[in-house]
Amino acid sequence: MDYSKLKRRASYPFETIAVAVAFSPRLEAIVTEGALLAKACNAKLLLIHIGERTRNKESKLDDLVTKLQLKEDQYRILWNDGDPVDSLLHLCKLNVVDLLILGAMKKESLLQYYLGSVARKISRKAKCSVLLLTDPSKEGTTYKKMVVNGVENPKTVHTINTAVYFGKCVHTTDVFVVTEIHQPGLAMTMADEATAGEMTRIKKENKAEELERVHAIVTRCQRQGAMEICEKTISGKPGYAIRQYAEQKKANLLVVNSPDQKLGIIDRIFTHDMEYILEDLPCNVLIVHSRVNESV
Amino acid sequence: MEKLNNTDLVALLLAIGTMLILSRIVAELGKRWKMPVVMGELLVGIALGPTILGTFHPDLFNTLFPLKSNPHFSIALDGIVSLSVILLLFVAGMEVQLPMVLRQGKAAITTGLGSMIIPFATGFGIAWWKPEWFGLTATQGEGYIFPIFLGTALSISALPVIARILMDLNLFKTNIGMIIIASAMFNDLVGWLVFSFILSYAGKNGAEHMSVWTTVVAILAFGAFMLFVGRKIIDKVLPWVQTKLSWPGGVLALCMSVCMFSAAFTESIHIHAILGAFIAGIAIGDSVHLREQAREIIHQFVTNFFAPLFFVSIGLKVNFIEHFDWLTVTIILVLAFVGKVAGAGIGARLAGIDRRSSMAIGFGLNARGAMEIILGTLAYDAGLISQTVFVALVIMALITSLSSGPLMRRYTTELA
Repeated sequence: MDYSKLKRRASYPFETIAVAVAFSPRLEAIVTEGALLAKACNAKLLLIHIGERTRNKESKLDDLVTKLQLKEDQYRILWNDGDPVDSLLHLCKLNVVDLLILGAMKKESLLQYYLGSVARKISRKAKCSVLLLTDPSKEGTTYKKMVVNGVENPKTVHTINTAVYFGKCVHTTDVFVVTEIHQPGLAMTMADEATAGEMTRIKKENKAEELERVHAIVTRCQRQGAMEICEKTISGKPGYAIRQYAEQKKANLLVVNSPDQKLGIIDRIFTHDMEYILEDLPCNVLIVHSRVNESV
Repeated sequence: MEKLNNTDLVALLLAIGTMLILSRIVAELGKRWKMPVVMGELLVGIALGPTILGTFHPDLFNTLFPLKSNPHFSIALDGIVSLSVILLLFVAGMEVQLPMVLRQGKAAITTGLGSMIIPFATGFGIAWWKPEWFGLTATQGEGYIFPIFLGTALSISALPVIARILMDLNLFKTNIGMIIIASAMFNDLVGWLVFSFILSYAGKNGAEHMSVWTTVVAILAFGAFMLFVGRKIIDKVLPWVQTKLSWPGGVLALCMSVCMFSAAFTESIHIHAILGAFIAGIAIGDSVHLREQAREIIHQFVTNFFAPLFFVSIGLKVNFIEHFDWLTVTIILVLAFVGKVAGAGIGARLAGIDRRSSMAIGFGLNARGAMEIILGTLAYDAGLISQTVFVALVIMALITSLSSGPLMRRYTTELA
């Protein structure tokens, strides 16, 4: 299989957007969201269904495409059998998909969370960016307020750039680039040796340092449109703190880096940063996969 | 119920007051020369104990600390010191973040393993081969317990000291800093599990021993239960406690009671109480719902009241001059430096880290600090080691803690 087109492919612009079609009650809403985003990003639309191809399903999709007034050269429908996760990811690679859109429950039952639903499994394994829509709408979601992670990671600059690009396409007005301060071991050290003044000074310095770092990344970003970019630091465990912040801000979209490694069951038991977000989605979530430093 | 009488209570309160105020004064003075607080506390213990006060003013020593003449005083102080060590292990556990160890991936695992396996192997090997170097007779040296103990003692690290050094060198948030912190957490977790096994298997009371496998299974089962089930329960209960009950009383009561119940449970199944406290600390400290302020209050409460009492009490037990032995101190120091620096360094190199950074990681993890002293004290109390080995371990803990920063600095000038 030739995946050379994927190698070092930038995380944006989104030239091909795929929608995972599940024929659930949310079918129309999720396909509409995909069509609207494809239009906003000037991208090709792929509707992918993994499962049996039946006349009933075909006619349902045809009716929907007609209703959305999609022209033939604007979309393609792909049918495939097999394991939903593996087949979907395989088709995404094969068709050089830049963004995969999935409908996802805000929160899953404990058992389902540990076993893993299709949407969560794909979020953990995908080699392209993934947009999880918690409440897809037939009128299309608005993405006015966006919270973006600013963690110290080589991927972050690509994530912020992608968020800014996406924000321009969907007319975002407020972007909050947030970095989480979490220093295990420090509380014990400080309790032992630091005076109240020293403690405050260290906390202030940490905050200033983080803000400076995030500011440097944001400055390097290619600002587009008239969106306001605000830089923030928050204290708490990575993943959980930003989830809480997105909830408090009533954000429409949370944009985060893709995980550095494949996440497994152990990362759900000893919760990985990403798993704090996946266990209870605070809003729609865009997981940006930058392929800059990896082989595909 | 037998009670402390007026004289016992006055003696106890005077002793505690003296220990607290003097250790604080010396610790504050020591900070001017970047001396760790624990060193100040140990020096006060040495000054107040048989080493200095007991030698030069035995009457004053016996009045202030009537350990031999007043059994009530002795038992009461022992109770407070036992509680102190339980709480110290609890707060040490609170700083262990297992997800962080996993997140650091291969580098943390190879470095963590290297910094445990090689010091353990060197310690075990030397203690097995030459028990007489540690004051053991040929018969005493036949068992596995002392070699396992020495191996464990050499493989442990001190997270709080390491965190402070990394902060001073401005390396806390760097990749190297994160690997060191994650590896130290890994060292702590495995080290205390092994040490609990040693203590439960080699306690003074032979009648209470479990078989090796029962002990191992009990430790693993308890650890797994607390980390998989207990942790999740605490995570669910904490938000309710922090919002519905009085603050910070509610959360303090919950944390302390979980620590005590957990410690009581492990002690009741003949695994030392410290394991229960340590694992309870991990389960509580890992919760995202534990507010930073609550964490700080617990740390302040333990490190500023219980820690000085524990570390000063060490000096009251042992005559450091009488039991100082150059050969034992040198052997333990050499083993500590070589094993840890080589082990952590090789582990880091295996993860693809460059030579200079690997050396920095090795020296960073070499700091043993308060954790080593706690481990040594428990081993001494359990009759596992002689006073000479105990003194050597305390000196090794202090020297490795003091030298870690300057030695790391030599290899990290370009990293910060």
